Amino acid sequence: MPRTPDCALEFEGESVSAVAGEPVAVSLFAAGVKVLSRSIKYHRPRSFFCLAGHCGACLMRIDGQPNIKACRTLASEGMKVERQNAFPSGGLDVLAAADFFFPKGMDHHTMFTAPRAVNTLMQKVVRQLGGLGRLPDPSPEPQELPAGERLRVDVAVVGAGPAGLAAAIACAAPGRRVVVFDEGDRAGGSLLSHPAHGVAAADRLAAEARAAGVAIRCRASAIAWYPEDEGGLLAVAEQPEGGGLPRLVRVTAARYVYATGGYDVNALFEDNDRPGIFAARAVGTMLIRHGVLAGARPVVLGDGPYAAALCEALAAAGCKVMPIDGVRERVVAARGRAWVSGVDVQSDGKTGPVTRKIACDAVAVATLPAPASELARQHGAEVAFRPEGGGFAVLTDGNGATRTPGVHACGDVCGFRGVLAARLHGSEVGRAIARAFARPGEGA
Amino acid sequence: MSAPTTAGPVTAGPPKRETEVLIVGGGIMGLAIAYHLALRGVSDVVVLERGYLAAGASGRNGGGIRMQWSTEINVLLMLESVELCKRFAGELGVNVWLRQGGYLFLAQSEGERARMEKNVALQNRHGVPTRMLLPEEARGIVPELDVSSLAAACYNPRDGILFPWPFLWGYANQAAKRGVELHTFTEVTAIEPSPAGFLVQTSKGPVRAQRVLNCAGAWSPEVARLVGVELPDRPHRHEILSTEPLKPFLGPMVSVLSSGLYFSQSMRGEVVTGITVPDLDDGSVKLGSRLRFLTTLAKELVRVMPRLAGVKVLRQWAGPYDVSPDGSPIVGEVATVPGFYLACGFTGHGFMMAPVVGKYYGEWLAGGPRHPFFDRWRLGRFAEGKLESEEMIIG
Amino acid sequence: MAGKVIVCRCEDVTQSDLDHAVALGYSHLEEAKRYTGLGTGPCQGKECMVACALYLALAAGRPPSEVRPFTSRPPVAAIALGTLAGPDDPGEGGG
Repeated sequence: MPRTPDCALEFEGESVSAVAGEPVAVSLFAAGVKVLSRSIKYHRPRSFFCLAGHCGACLMRIDGQPNIKACRTLASEGMKVERQNAFPSGGLDVLAAADFFFPKGMDHHTMFTAPRAVNTLMQKVVRQLGGLGRLPDPSPEPQELPAGERLRVDVAVVGAGPAGLAAAIACAAPGRRVVVFDEGDRAGGSLLSHPAHGVAAADRLAAEARAAGVAIRCRASAIAWYPEDEGGLLAVAEQPEGGGLPRLVRVTAARYVYATGGYDVNALFEDNDRPGIFAARAVGTMLIRHGVLAGARPVVLGDGPYAAALCEALAAAGCKVMPIDGVRERVVAARGRAWVSGVDVQSDGKTGPVTRKIACDAVAVATLPAPASELARQHGAEVAFRPEGGGFAVLTDGNGATRTPGVHACGDVCGFRGVLAARLHGSEVGRAIARAFARPGEGA
Repeated sequence: MSAPTTAGPVTAGPPKRETEVLIVGGGIMGLAIAYHLALRGVSDVVVLERGYLAAGASGRNGGGIRMQWSTEINVLLMLESVELCKRFAGELGVNVWLRQGGYLFLAQSEGERARMEKNVALQNRHGVPTRMLLPEEARGIVPELDVSSLAAACYNPRDGILFPWPFLWGYANQAAKRGVELHTFTEVTAIEPSPAGFLVQTSKGPVRAQRVLNCAGAWSPEVARLVGVELPDRPHRHEILSTEPLKPFLGPMVSVLSSGLYFSQSMRGEVVTGITVPDLDDGSVKLGSRLRFLTTLAKELVRVMPRLAGVKVLRQWAGPYDVSPDGSPIVGEVATVPGFYLACGFTGHGFMMAPVVGKYYGEWLAGGPRHPFFDRWRLGRFAEGKLESEEMIIG
Repeated sequence: MAGKVIVCRCEDVTQSDLDHAVALGYSHLEEAKRYTGLGTGPCQGKECMVACALYLALAAGRPPSEVRPFTSRPPVAAIALGTLAGPDDPGEGGG
């Protein structure tokens, strides 16, 4: 997909070309801005990792508002973007000296506790170093706050990925109000980052859902299940199309379906937070949604089907891909500072571990996504640690029912299974819900 | 698989079978008392904590510490407590990040202003430098404040905020170094009075103790019931939230008297804030979070500080206040159960009072002088009708 | 040269910090969260919780099957005070 910039951002006083509607993080990366933020304690250089609004690595000041996710903010003409938490600038931050003074980590609880004068001075210094962004700019006129909304539906689905959309399609019926909420700007979830599926597949599934009578509300983040408010409600923050503060939607439903998927998780190795080390799905999203290559010589770390699909797609796009399976060969360290320049890879030799150095300009980490089980847990679902499922998987019966009546889960939140299996699971769970509605005495 | 031995304060394995003093509750109150006992040579002490360290109110509060009170005894004790907090890092080896940015109380009515003036006069008599402010002067301290509805404000620059958890680590470390046993994930299931003291049943085996201290906070009525004592304090859920981290902008802890809103900025840059929200106080400890709290708080906070409308909430949680009928603590030995002591009913202020209460409790039980607060705050006052009303209760 | 293994990106918590917390006896996820600050930053543990929980369990000699997540505190995604302060809609809409 060719990328044709059609607008310009104002990045720290300089003009940076961008494609209107793409994430600001992608615009900056494509324009060669390597460091988007500085980490909170050691001022380590950071760029985005997940490109999905989850990891917190791309917080910037955008149009006078602090700590805004650059990966979730869509570029538009004249948008003002600045880095935070750096002195004198995000590119050259002298506070990064802390990174060298504490080479392994620090226990700030027991440092400089005495004498009193030193302790007091330390307190003042640490206070000034604390925090990320500055207060929001004052608004010129009194700000109008968005009015809330109350919504009562038959089925509330959280997550418009393959599982959530499939569940909604399978339980939709004339007269039944089925709503799917998704935090992204476009329905599709993990379809949107998968080279074998992509935007077209996501749009087809979303169109199928809409044709079945399902309402899809994007830029709508479910923020919590509140059991004690008004007999229990799902709180959703929905961003209006034209920008501004999100509005609060209080949702109640006869059935709730959590199809929240999984979070991208980094692998553990030295300097694993270097800019240029991305979640594999971020690399996939950039490639297939935005037409941006993460690098010319990327390392892809992981041995699952997603890693294989990504390697293939990157190679087809002209990259020199270096796959590391993470099992036979493991990444033990990254090199480079403002951008990754290589990785050290270890394998078991005849007489002990053998290390080789690989030069690269990007790393795609394809670990198993961790089930995003928070909402289901807040809603009473039980979870269990499943290493093969990526983390704390929601426990359900064969019909996707959790131990809380009326609460269901499907897809990767029940343990990672991948796009196709998640969609199948969603369909099964949706059909079970439809059967339950058909039984006398059930339903809304 | 066995857990490696650690350099920390928590004792591995079951508690010892016999001890001089057994403290129920490993929150700041129990640990401060244990530390002060050990410091004075009484180190045959076992502290039992039902959950992890800092699981209760000690790990859930906003970390405010102030000298602005409406009763002489609280003013004097808190003057001393602030001094103890200033020395804490040096003496106990753990940073508590005490930042004396002051407390700024906001009054919106003439009635509140009158009470404020009376309290400020009392505080001034005891050397607390609180001063009355005009609304414009309050804005000099917090420029983002909307002062249009204010009648007056008062400000003591020596009040402050601190980081609560390190107090527990500090007290626990130093108590353990002096021989005190601390057991986490250990529940007390029964307390039977016996001629030589008490036989205490725990989830990790029995312990004989000469004296038992009830430092269980909101759970203290439950613990007292194990020896047949009905306490008048009741748990009350207090909710609180923390925002995204911001660069320093807010010096003092600010509190609106009429609504019970309070907010401050932590060392990490987060705005930490809570407000009074009515609850069904039915005697059970509730720790769930409510949307009603968020919306009530947000409306009031954005009214007072419109600039915060764009600031985002990161995390909300709840902690249990241990509310006594007159707002004052319940301490000392229970007359009907000799050897059974109370340190409860602190009504949301136990954390800031623990350094000084722990000191005097330890001093007394180790054979030293008995501070007058043990009389004023005795359990018997409720039956006698001699209440010790404190009106400066926030949240 | 700094060779930090970052286990919590938001709060700059390293693998060595976790080892230190375990050595002090704070090996349960809730305890280590409070001692190191892991999972308390902008992502609230979305990226780091599973890896930290597993690492702590193994370091403390507990089987992975016993690993539990820390309490999920609302909101799951950060929400502006202004959103929460807006007027309630008394009415009720359909889907």
